[in-house]
Amino acid sequence: MEAMDLLQVLDHQQPRRLRVIENLLRGRRTVSTLYWGQRYHLLPLLDADKHLDRGALTVPAQQLVAANLVTLDSEEDQLLLTPAGQQRQSQVATYYRPQTSGDWLSLDLGAVRQRTLLAVQVTSQYAHSTSRYYPLTTDLATRRIIRQWFHRLKGPQLAETLSVALIQSLQQLPVQTAEAMTDLLTGYQHPGLTVDQVASKQQQTAWEIRLRQRDGLTQIARDARRADHPFHSLLQSLWRSPVTRSAQATLYAVEQGGSLEQVAAQRHVKTNTVKEHLLEAAILSPVAVFPYDQLLPESVRADFATVLNADIDSWQFAQLPEALRARYDFFYFRLYAIWRGRGMMADGTTHN
Amino acid sequence: MEPLTTSLQHVFGFNTFRTGQAAALTALEQGKDTLAILPTGAGKTLIYQLYGYRHPGCVLVISPLLSLMNDQVDRMRINGFRRSAAITSLTSYAERQEILRHLGDYQFLFLSPEMLAQPQMLAQIQRLQLSLLVIDEAHCIVQWGPDFRPEYLLLGAIRTKLQQPLTLMLTATAGETTRQEIAKQLRTRPEIVSESVNRPNIFLDVENVADELEKQARLKRLINQLQRPGVVYFSSKQQATDTALWLHQETGIRAAAYHAGLASEDRFKIQQQFMMGQLDVICATSAFGMGIDKNNVRYVIHYHLPADLESYAQEIGRAGRDGKPSVAILLYAPGDEQLPLALGQSNRPDDETIQRYYARPQQFSEDDPVIQLLAFYRQHGISQVAVTQMFTGRERERNRALAQMMAYARENHCLRERWLAAFDEQSPEHVATCCSPGNTPLDLSALGLIRQQSAVTVAPEREDWVVRLRRLF
Repeated sequence: MEAMDLLQVLDHQQPRRLRVIENLLRGRRTVSTLYWGQRYHLLPLLDADKHLDRGALTVPAQQLVAANLVTLDSEEDQLLLTPAGQQRQSQVATYYRPQTSGDWLSLDLGAVRQRTLLAVQVTSQYAHSTSRYYPLTTDLATRRIIRQWFHRLKGPQLAETLSVALIQSLQQLPVQTAEAMTDLLTGYQHPGLTVDQVASKQQQTAWEIRLRQRDGLTQIARDARRADHPFHSLLQSLWRSPVTRSAQATLYAVEQGGSLEQVAAQRHVKTNTVKEHLLEAAILSPVAVFPYDQLLPESVRADFATVLNADIDSWQFAQLPEALRARYDFFYFRLYAIWRGRGMMADGTTHN
Repeated sequence: MEPLTTSLQHVFGFNTFRTGQAAALTALEQGKDTLAILPTGAGKTLIYQLYGYRHPGCVLVISPLLSLMNDQVDRMRINGFRRSAAITSLTSYAERQEILRHLGDYQFLFLSPEMLAQPQMLAQIQRLQLSLLVIDEAHCIVQWGPDFRPEYLLLGAIRTKLQQPLTLMLTATAGETTRQEIAKQLRTRPEIVSESVNRPNIFLDVENVADELEKQARLKRLINQLQRPGVVYFSSKQQATDTALWLHQETGIRAAAYHAGLASEDRFKIQQQFMMGQLDVICATSAFGMGIDKNNVRYVIHYHLPADLESYAQEIGRAGRDGKPSVAILLYAPGDEQLPLALGQSNRPDDETIQRYYARPQQFSEDDPVIQLLAFYRQHGISQVAVTQMFTGRERERNRALAQMMAYARENHCLRERWLAAFDEQSPEHVATCCSPGNTPLDLSALGLIRQQSAVTVAPEREDWVVRLRRLF
């Protein structure tokens, strides 16, 4: 991420923590990262830059501060757009707005990328009757899956079917996104461009090109849900619940009844882990499917509602009245914040 | 057994060996450990491919370059040797398990030295029937060993544990000292097969510039004038990246950076673009080159001073593999020797640190690569005195190598003579087409290396993405 990219994920009212944004991009799934990622409306970027170095956002942040676009608190962590920063953010009208980010958490995009690139290369070389070429470097599992896929589907129609399918997918996206996706592919007599090369060609940041690629891949995966799509068997299994398997199992056990302690004993984990699993599930599941009524009954909500105002981000557990802290630990406080933050009013209706 | 040339015909369809290949194979067939010093592009891989074809069992190849090993396996597969695999620290756990389950099935196995040094791995390898042990880039035992890859120093002991299998050591450049050191480390007295490192079609040039600014300006001018494609080597990834961008912006030349920090997908694409003639110049670090088969590289420019003449010889060897006139240019500004000196120092603990570490190892954090190195030696039972001696000796050796490189940069008579002397070779008589030392201006037109300015063409209108995507299939 460059300074211009960082600017786009900041706000003029809500201070945002640099460390949270960094951990989110690096795919660190702690409850704190997930919670704040949701508060910042940045959860789709979870795991979007696995290889980001620790502290890599510090320099871009400092550049924004030096340009008076952003202020940084005394602990050098909370960033807030200045009026000039807010103006700049809205001026950059051409900055890329992803269109498919609603699906990003539910898709293993890294695997979609590897499989799509290698399958396109293999099909392209096959269409030109070449068998001696350097394949893209991928892991053994991807190579094996592509090999099986290829042997099942190869035939005179494969290249044409695939080309039509890809064009149909990319036509649903902005032209520059389709351009970027095409340039990034590798095939016969076409090594493909690197992200940096596409960025320089399109005069955008490398991060924008990566967002475009995420859009392109997600669109292809969406279209490949149809059983007659050539990538159906390749990509269908990459759709997944954003909630980890172990958190799902904990949630299921809790829904079957029993206290958190009982579930902990049953699942051979600490009670605290049970709570973390539940918070993760609450953040990443649709509101309707999480058992709020069971875990956060009306009486609990009412207790919190009497002392907490509408400014959720300003809430601090340590500042709750002592009686309340004695009755409920941090888990309930956080769960209440998630519930409120996701638009539920104290009376159980949504306000947005 | 069928004659070597029959095998060559069978496997590769060639009728004759290139120089050095037959001699190395003959020595191996006679059961002699062999050190083959053959220039880049001489076809060193073919030696162990053919040996592996002719003998049952597994050819175990130890290679220092992690990023390159998967490429090597791909090349093996392209040549029809499908039972090939590589295990490095970059190989995922699942993939490693998968390969280990079928270890006995592989005909060619590539391992990094640190992988082989792991006891469990070594135990697995000990169970294999090895037809040949190959130490690729064997000069790394000397160049890199004590500083970066201590595992290379264990190869001698490992080789003993593997019952001294027949061993082939491969390198493009090794002077007398390096040869002796390789043999000593691997505990063998190999048959030496060597070809001259001289590359008569590569014109040698050293250019003195006053400072960094002048160096940049000179680089830009050269890149504009010289026939393409070419490679510019840097000692820093950042500078390689910045310069590629700068050259592109300033001159419109198609430039890209290549270094070990790139993602494997980017490395793949840039290599392929270069091979296909879609790039005019690569701004590279030493990570670029090993394994790149491109015949028509017309120039190699060194922006920074290499640490020794062996690295320099390796890198300029990428030029002119097609035998046509090419040029190797070293840009030198006063004080350039400070960079390799500093890079060397940063990897070397001082005597006091060594002493303090050996006294209280637990007080040191192993985040520091220098401490990791000391921990490695300590764990392998190397005493403090021996480690101190080793570093001192290594530093002396490195200073000597750098002094030799400096002598080349400052040479006023014949660069080739200076260069070949470092490899204990006699140089042919100096002539005008041999070299131009720092005190002699470079005459590119006399060498026929001036680029014909192509008529100004309007950049072709870029086709619609649909057309481009269709063309892939």
